[in-house]
Amino acid sequence: MSKEIESRVHAALRPVAPSEEFSQKLLARVMAAQPVQPKPRRLLGAGARPLAWWLTASLAACLILAVGVQQHLEQQRLQQSGLEARREVVEALRMTSQKLNLAYEAVKNQSTSLSDEKSGV
Amino acid sequence: MNDEILDPLDAELARARSGERAALAALVQAHQRAVYSLALRMLGTRDLAEDLTQDVFMQLNGNLRAIESNKHLGFWLRQVTSNRAIDQLRRRARVPMTSLDDEQQLFSAEDNADPLLQRHLRALLSDLSPPARAVLLLRYQEDLDPTDIALTLDMPINTVKSHLKRSLETLRERTFGTQPARCEDNST
Repeated sequence: MSKEIESRVHAALRPVAPSEEFSQKLLARVMAAQPVQPKPRRLLGAGARPLAWWLTASLAACLILAVGVQQHLEQQRLQQSGLEARREVVEALRMTSQKLNLAYEAVKNQSTSLSDEKSGV
Repeated sequence: MNDEILDPLDAELARARSGERAALAALVQAHQRAVYSLALRMLGTRDLAEDLTQDVFMQLNGNLRAIESNKHLGFWLRQVTSNRAIDQLRRRARVPMTSLDDEQQLFSAEDNADPLLQRHLRALLSDLSPPARAVLLLRYQEDLDPTDIALTLDMPINTVKSHLKRSLETLRERTFGTQPARCEDNST
């Protein structure tokens, strides 16, 4: 039974021919297609692909490093200008304090001399 | 003995590889029937089969230098046709197996053709998964043994054998079994 059905399937599935029209069209397309030329050998050998990969990876690493360094320098610059501003504010406060002390001394001296004059009378 | 030396198409292949278009045309004529039949029975419609056949031979034009012999060419054509048909079938969710115009063309018109078996075979092909369909066609249309089918479809040989066994059992059950009513339903 198995052999019989196999031979019947085999007979039913014999290859069928495409239409003559399609066959002609196919041949015309194949004939019109450009023959494929052999690829020129690469100057770089079999190791070219890993080399290219390493070059790309190195370039990417350099780029990431450069961006990192630039960010670090920018941060340092901001920190420096912050310190400078703080120093200027401290200096201004110190000068203001000195002036206030001088004014206080002047007022104090004036009031002392006035009281001496009163007591002398 | 040594088929590769005796095969006259090997000489055509060598000429085609050196750029001779007429030799390539001879190779196309020699193999188009097998490629077209495989495409037609895999995809189910003449239009899709013609498109696939044309694509496969145009792809061959770009890969000609990798083909070593006419035997290798046959293997390459079957492999590319099967895999591309399986990919097409997988991309589409549901594919009608045949249009009415193609029903007669799907099978060879032999004098002793069995219309009942052809009907069951068509129903079976439409029910099978794309890889199982390819296995059945490569076995009975292309007359490949399971080892060659496994190589062509890059599939374990046991999977090939189980696909064949299940397909034949289903076909036997439908043709000689006790469920003729179901088959009649499929045909209407």
